[in-house]
Amino acid sequence: MSGTAVASGKVEYTDSENRNALIAVKAHLIAGLSVFLLMMLGGLTMRAAQGTWIEIGVDLFYQIMTVHGVGVVGAAVIASTGVQWHFLRKYVRLSNAIFWTNFFIFLTGVVMILGSIFLGGYGGAWTFLYPLPAISMGAWSTGAAAVFQLGVLIIGVGLLILYLDFGRAILARYGSLARALGLTMLFGKEPVDPAHPKAVVASTMVLIVNFLGIAAGAVVLVMGLINLYNPEFQPDAMLMKNLIYFFGHVIINATIYASVIAVYELLPRYTGRPWKTNKVFLAAWFAIVFMVMGVYPHHLLMDFPMPAWAMIAAQVLSFGSGIPVLVVTGYGALMLVYRSGIKWSTTTKLLFLSMFGWAAGVIPAILDAMVTINRVFHNTLWVPGHFHFYLLLGLLPMIIGFTYYLAGEGDRNEQPKATDSLGFYAYLIGAFMTSMVFLASGANSIPRRWAVHMEEWVTFAQVGTIAAALVVLGTLLFTLRAIFILPGAANPR
Amino acid sequence: MIIKIKQEWLLLTAFVVLALPPMQQFLEQSMVTHMLVQIPVLAIIGWMLGKKLPENWKSKITLWNRWGITGMVLAVIIMTYWMLPRVLDAAISEWHFELVKFVTVPIMGIALSLSWPLLNPIAQGVLKLEFWATFMRLGWLYLDLPDRLCANYLLSDQRILGQLLLLSGSAWAITWTLRIMFGIRIIKT
Repeated sequence: MSGTAVASGKVEYTDSENRNALIAVKAHLIAGLSVFLLMMLGGLTMRAAQGTWIEIGVDLFYQIMTVHGVGVVGAAVIASTGVQWHFLRKYVRLSNAIFWTNFFIFLTGVVMILGSIFLGGYGGAWTFLYPLPAISMGAWSTGAAAVFQLGVLIIGVGLLILYLDFGRAILARYGSLARALGLTMLFGKEPVDPAHPKAVVASTMVLIVNFLGIAAGAVVLVMGLINLYNPEFQPDAMLMKNLIYFFGHVIINATIYASVIAVYELLPRYTGRPWKTNKVFLAAWFAIVFMVMGVYPHHLLMDFPMPAWAMIAAQVLSFGSGIPVLVVTGYGALMLVYRSGIKWSTTTKLLFLSMFGWAAGVIPAILDAMVTINRVFHNTLWVPGHFHFYLLLGLLPMIIGFTYYLAGEGDRNEQPKATDSLGFYAYLIGAFMTSMVFLASGANSIPRRWAVHMEEWVTFAQVGTIAAALVVLGTLLFTLRAIFILPGAANPR
Repeated sequence: MIIKIKQEWLLLTAFVVLALPPMQQFLEQSMVTHMLVQIPVLAIIGWMLGKKLPENWKSKITLWNRWGITGMVLAVIIMTYWMLPRVLDAAISEWHFELVKFVTVPIMGIALSLSWPLLNPIAQGVLKLEFWATFMRLGWLYLDLPDRLCANYLLSDQRILGQLLLLSGSAWAITWTLRIMFGIRIIKT
């Protein structure tokens, strides 16, 4: 690397490094959106099967359900990492080689996971919840379950390498993660710097939680593998579940905190107003470090052996977890946009939509995190309602908005075309309907993870299928734009 | 009067002390001291010996150890080998395995000391986390397994080792967190 840091605080790279970095970010976005699209087709197939419009075998349903879950999490991670890396490298010196390394390790893991599911028949859900992978009753082999877990493990290793590079770069510039997170400013040891990069604060938070999440995953995945080949070793199922959910929940939850950097970085450009860092912002991000790690037991509220204090903490933290950053970001975005004369392009519409999706998407989760409601709702379609809302209307608009920015709207101030508007509204209506149908199904006690639905539930699934088709249409238009226009687009200045 | 003794002699003395039958039997009578005292001390002796190697030896080895990869691969292979319960058992029962242990573990230390500084910081990080995860995995495994892994040691010994591995892993995690989060160095290196 031959670039040098300049006085403005931004890192300068050579032209070839910048070109290579842009290609890498585009590769992440195209890969992420393509996987999202394929997974949505999988989702559409499952809903159509539940709605009796198509017939698929039960085995295939669970294989699709598994690939849908793991694929969406993988796509969310890889695409959000692209967003995060693009902005973080402006403030700290990141390595292009490491970024590519993670990408290719990720692809290797994806191939292993696809092989385990469609060749090996693994259908034990992406959560690989112990001891299910080992007791398939003949549906899949031990080898298939092992390859699935190894694939996840390998993806974790790739991410770990990337986060180590984030950590190295952040420590090289700020000395400690606490300083990068702004704690020295928050607690008065340094004056507040309004220009302290939000991308650095958010990335430090993501780095901390994901590093710990992956560490837990690295342990629990290997313990699962040992159990597969040595069934005599039977680890504590509750401890395994805790570690799996800590790993899984942290990883998927952190994707939105990585992607929100696009909102912090892009909205000020479109509104022409600065988004200053202040103590409230820093306090919110400091709080979320602990909250993201502490809320996962809301997946275990039905497990009676869990200690009561963990349940209470999970409920309280789940109530509060969305609030700090969400309020700071949502309120900040509203203030930034209010009477700013913003031109509504597809990028800005999507970024603004993401604020709504994020804010509204946590409400079903907060309800589900109440122990009494959880007992009734947790194994119903209410839960997919929450995470589809959160991901389709919160996370994905951030990623797609950033893609549009890179694909031309950021540079040439390009106006949305008719296909973009069609894509946006098809996606908006479809995503909202998909989530609401899931929530309504949950409220009507329709269970989740059932391949075949009772006659009374079929109408819900059919409406859900139409909604999913709209989502697929919108995402198809977005993805086509990413595939055909993104590769040739110049770096926005 | 202060007697100045060369560090190399001290290392040799430590090695000989460890190899003396009473000390050897004392450390190997428990799984805990065998795995958490004897083997790590042998590795540390190797590490320190690696630091004291003549410069021309080091430069010759470096030609074969670019970016520290060869040495780290050797160290990881030796480490993995000595994590196998059968081998640990064999070292107690058969003298030639014991001899191999007293030779290979210090070699592992030498390989580590020559290779670690050459490794890319990212690779160091990955290995550190992998070592940490190994502590936690083995600790958990030793605690939960219903059977003895080593024929020469009691189940209770295995469980104590499991607890100590988990404790060491936790202490390591806390130290690491304090260092990268707040810049606090508990151990100055």
